[in-house]
Amino acid sequence: MALDTPILMKRIPQGNVANRQTVWYDGYVATGGYAALDKAIAMEPSKIIDEMKASELRGRGGAGFPAGMKWSFLPPPDGGHRFLAVNADESEPATFKDQLLINTDPHMMIEGIAICMKACHLDTAYVYIRGEYHHHRVTLEKAVQEAWDNGIFGEKSRMGQINGRTPRLFVQRGAGAYICGEETALLESLEGKRGWPRNKPPFPAVSGAFARPTVINNVETLATVPAIIENGAAWFKTHGVARPEGVPPQVPASYGTKLYGISGPVNNPGVFEDHLGIKLSALIGQHGKGMRAGKQFKAAFHGGISMGVLGTDQYDAVLDFDIGKRCGVLGLGTACVTVIPQDVSMVAMARNCARFYSHESCGQCTPCREGSNWAYKLLSRIEAGEGTTADLDLLSELAGSMGSMPGSTICGLADGTSWAIRTILQKFWNEFEDKVAKPRFVGLALR
Amino acid sequence: MAWITQKSSAPNDLGRRAVPYLAPATKDRFERDFIPRYPTRRGALIQVLHAIQDEVGWLPMQAMEEVAQFIGITPSQVVDTATFYEEFFFKPRGKYTLWVCQSVSCEIMGSTALQGKISEKLGIHHGETTPDGKFTLMHVECIGACGGAPCALCNHKLHENLSSDNVDAILDSLP
Ligand SMILES: Cc1cc2nc3c(=O)[nH]c(=O)nc-3n(C[C@H](O)[C@H](O)[C@H](O)COP(=O)(O)O)c2cc1C
Ligand code: SF4
Repeated sequence: MALDTPILMKRIPQGNVANRQTVWYDGYVATGGYAALDKAIAMEPSKIIDEMKASELRGRGGAGFPAGMKWSFLPPPDGGHRFLAVNADESEPATFKDQLLINTDPHMMIEGIAICMKACHLDTAYVYIRGEYHHHRVTLEKAVQEAWDNGIFGEKSRMGQINGRTPRLFVQRGAGAYICGEETALLESLEGKRGWPRNKPPFPAVSGAFARPTVINNVETLATVPAIIENGAAWFKTHGVARPEGVPPQVPASYGTKLYGISGPVNNPGVFEDHLGIKLSALIGQHGKGMRAGKQFKAAFHGGISMGVLGTDQYDAVLDFDIGKRCGVLGLGTACVTVIPQDVSMVAMARNCARFYSHESCGQCTPCREGSNWAYKLLSRIEAGEGTTADLDLLSELAGSMGSMPGSTICGLADGTSWAIRTILQKFWNEFEDKVAKPRFVGLALR
Repeated sequence: MAWITQKSSAPNDLGRRAVPYLAPATKDRFERDFIPRYPTRRGALIQVLHAIQDEVGWLPMQAMEEVAQFIGITPSQVVDTATFYEEFFFKPRGKYTLWVCQSVSCEIMGSTALQGKISEKLGIHHGETTPDGKFTLMHVECIGACGGAPCALCNHKLHENLSSDNVDAILDSLP
């Protein structure tokens, strides 16, 4: 089932990137923009949340938590501030989908922000955009200014007062730290501190930014909101994968469309929108226009490196939120695919991942701080042909014992480390064995 | 960034200048543009540091002391926050900072050769600055332009689909 009418890329030409221009306020309104906000303003806030819950929209930032549910966790207003933090940190390797929305159709996300603020009684919103997105930030700041000037935010907001205050939206510039994409690290950074993830509970819904109730959503999640409010949850659920037979309604499904990124040696790399549940092979074949001449598919990181790797025999993997169970990976992640060709060594890929995590670990938890660097050293040695079989065993043990799921770390960065390295080891064990297979004499000792 | 901080505090030039980095007009601007956005003054810290670095090129100790006073926190709190982030520099850097990506998509598409080529051409490695003060080279993790891998930022400008062949022309064209 091909996607006939895009939702997120409604105003963005697919294909040739050179044709893309930013849709500013006037262009956005002329093509039906901010109609969903007007509809939301006329609705009871609780009804907006009900609609979002009914749509079963799951977060597009990586964890896939149902957005409507998240919105409903906030305590009732008590007179103090309530915040929305928009996660535009997008630093997961190989992920470059949010930048497309920010750069070409920023008002869709801004409309989603306004609707979320209305629904959850949030008076102030911050878009936390990663420091390296320079021209994107300039575009976003201009679009935000337009939204203030046109009565979306500010004294003359068409939403009136929210939570007893003037609704406001600001752009927060990050400063180069992957970990600030983790929601509580993002909040710390917003408060002007180092991006150190917090222990949970308390969860941000209760005590988030500046110790006040806070909603945190990804850019793409919020950009999907206007279409749901305008057309209804039932319409939204005609996209994506239907709930499998016999699965109870409280188990979230994979409805809707998704932005997919493709990078690596394909003929047409870029960001594309399609139904959730597209096959990896179809994504590479139809959108990516196939592998480049002379390149053969070996593996793929399907959702950023933190979700783990898909093996050569998983070329037909179905990309939806249930991919974890089916394919032995952590989850769907960001759905931005890096294609790895036959001529690239998986040992080199594992080493690259380990270097990434050792560089980006915030250093609070010993297994993450020491483990990632240790893994990097082991993998550097193995890649240089100096490794031993004992190194491989040690690496497996190391990668298997870190993460917030075994309960040894504060945040999920260590789970990413674990899944990336562990799945590469599992699925490409031969390549590692080949690297360490030759016993050699060093001095008199057999290594 | 993060915990692997090169202890740049040790060789830091604590030289002072008579002219403050935060002139009264600058303070007024921060007071108007950044402070009202947050319920605490410290919330504005990172935006203030960016504004100063955009102007000065790096963050001198004296500037961070002045920021501490302006925000109403201690200088060590400012340093604590600032040193966490990779984008902040605590010593002068080149006119152009090259941020060359080395994460998975870029490595697959040839960033290792690209980095080698740049180092050879400029005679510097990661974290170093050319003697003429023109270039500072940073090897960095994913900069979010993977469709155009290998990619790099030159100051605020993004360059995509780089190769050992076209990087020469780009570097040579910079004034
Ligand atoms: C180490 C780490 C890095 C993350 N980086 C990002 C990121 O760059 N962008 C993002 O949207 N979510 C990121 N997340 C997920 C966020 O913590 C959070 O789940 C998400 O922003 C919630 O939004 P959503 O429910 O709309 O997806 C990261 C999580 C972890 C553990
Ligand atoms: S798991 Fe790693 S990144 Fe997360 S809080 Fe612990 S040390 Fe920091």
